[in-house]
Amino acid sequence: MRILVVEDEAALSRQLASALADAGYAVDCATDGERADELVEIEQYDAIILDLGLPKIDGLTLLRRWREAGMSSPVLILTARASWHEKVQGIDVGADDYVAKPFRMEEVLARLRALIRRASGQLNPELRCGPLVLDARLSKVTVDGNSVRLTSHEFRVLSYLMHHRGRVVSQAELTEHIYAQDFNRDSNTVEVFIARLRRKVGAGIIETVRGLGYRIAS
Amino acid sequence: MASLRTRLFLGAFVWMLAMAAVANVIAFLFVGPVLHNYAGRYIIVNRVTGGNEVRHIQHLLAMTSGALLLVAAGLWLIRKSLAPFNEMRNRLAAVRDGSEHTIPGNYPSEVQPLVNDLNALLDDRERAITRALATAGDLAHGLKTPLAILAQEAERAKVAGDSERATIIEQQVERMRRQIDYHLAHARATASAGAAPGVRSQVATSVEGLTRTLQRLYADRGLTIDTDVAPEHYVRVKREDLDEMLGNLLDNACKYAQSRITVTSRQSELAGIVIIDDDGPGLDPSMHTAVLQRGVRADEAAPGSGLGLAIVRDLASLYNGSITLGTSPAGGLRARLELPV
Repeated sequence: MRILVVEDEAALSRQLASALADAGYAVDCATDGERADELVEIEQYDAIILDLGLPKIDGLTLLRRWREAGMSSPVLILTARASWHEKVQGIDVGADDYVAKPFRMEEVLARLRALIRRASGQLNPELRCGPLVLDARLSKVTVDGNSVRLTSHEFRVLSYLMHHRGRVVSQAELTEHIYAQDFNRDSNTVEVFIARLRRKVGAGIIETVRGLGYRIAS
Repeated sequence: MASLRTRLFLGAFVWMLAMAAVANVIAFLFVGPVLHNYAGRYIIVNRVTGGNEVRHIQHLLAMTSGALLLVAAGLWLIRKSLAPFNEMRNRLAAVRDGSEHTIPGNYPSEVQPLVNDLNALLDDRERAITRALATAGDLAHGLKTPLAILAQEAERAKVAGDSERATIIEQQVERMRRQIDYHLAHARATASAGAAPGVRSQVATSVEGLTRTLQRLYADRGLTIDTDVAPEHYVRVKREDLDEMLGNLLDNACKYAQSRITVTSRQSELAGIVIIDDDGPGLDPSMHTAVLQRGVRADEAAPGSGLGLAIVRDLASLYNGSITLGTSPAGGLRARLELPV
């Protein structure tokens, strides 16, 4: 799962990024509207956290532009502007959720999980595939009720595949969603993670579709 | 428009004539009048002082009515020359109650400069309010990001095991947030309730926008929000403030409702009424007035409750409206917001 944080206040941006990384997301940060626009153009984000008062291009303009261009990633507005009139504006421009500053990190994380879940059309926080259960809320994975310990990268790979069950996910797409923008990517490592995951959760769950990528049956 | 000087001069001239006529009548009646028997009828005859001329009653009548007419004309002229000042007072009252921006119309050349100065003053005042409001907004928003950072530090302190300190920081952050929200809403409403010219807002627009928004914000709750609001219902409240009042009430309803919220509106000649019902646990009737009482300061209310209602209460009263709480048909809370139309 790959998240974009658009926030111009460096300290808050760092706090958000580190909390999101701890929760198992790959995080990119943009500190102004232009940079955010560039990133959204080249990356497919699973969710975007958007501040409204941004340098260069303000958040509402940015969001309106993205929605007009057909960008469908869920967007959570995180802003100091907390009046109801501003909330209505934000939602009408195309935001999926609206949290006012100051906020509780738990709340932002919970809302983000719900957004990602709804965006992938699943209403239950528990994702299930045969004996395998992934609880996105608790970042917990169990097989036949026994919990499985995964590293954060392994969890990201499994979680992404589970959120897109039934669809073939290419190696490139997986790489993109598990590493942050500035991370040194190496698509070989995806194979390593898949191999380790198969050992931990059972070999039959992740299929390899030759030449295309991986799939978890829906 | 004729100048004030011309009008006053004309008025004074007519009055002068009127006074001359009145003096004439008085002289006729009291200076040397004789009651004379003329062919069996009494008539007043006056031998004008120093002359032999005889004046009759017809003359008296003509003179009296002439004098009355001239007095009336003089009064009318003077009234008319002072009318611009009354007009100005009425317009100024309209500016005060918010139905006019500036003082419109053409005035006599002596008054127009005064009106222009007054309009410039009103303009200055409005610009000053807008500036002050923008500054208040910037201050509020500028404080919230640092507060958010502090709140995150508190969470980290808690994780690190210093939960006592974390709790203190969290409480103070929450208090500051409430102060900011409350006073910002207050500043906005005070400015707009006083200075907004003849604003009217459609109730349905606000209700629909807020319903869309709340459906998103509470997407996981699966709530049904039924609205029955006629498109012709308007209230004399600025859109932002109407959104703020209804938003807080609807948000409250969404928080406590089990599954269904109903919004209805009614309108009489004097007031527009919006009723918001939920099917949640409701409030004990003894609390219905208590939670709205003055003196319960918003920033002192318990966390998570009261602030929204306090904002609604204060905004409504700034607009000469009111909010009352009761029990909904489903046993939950009913909020009834009444605003001027």
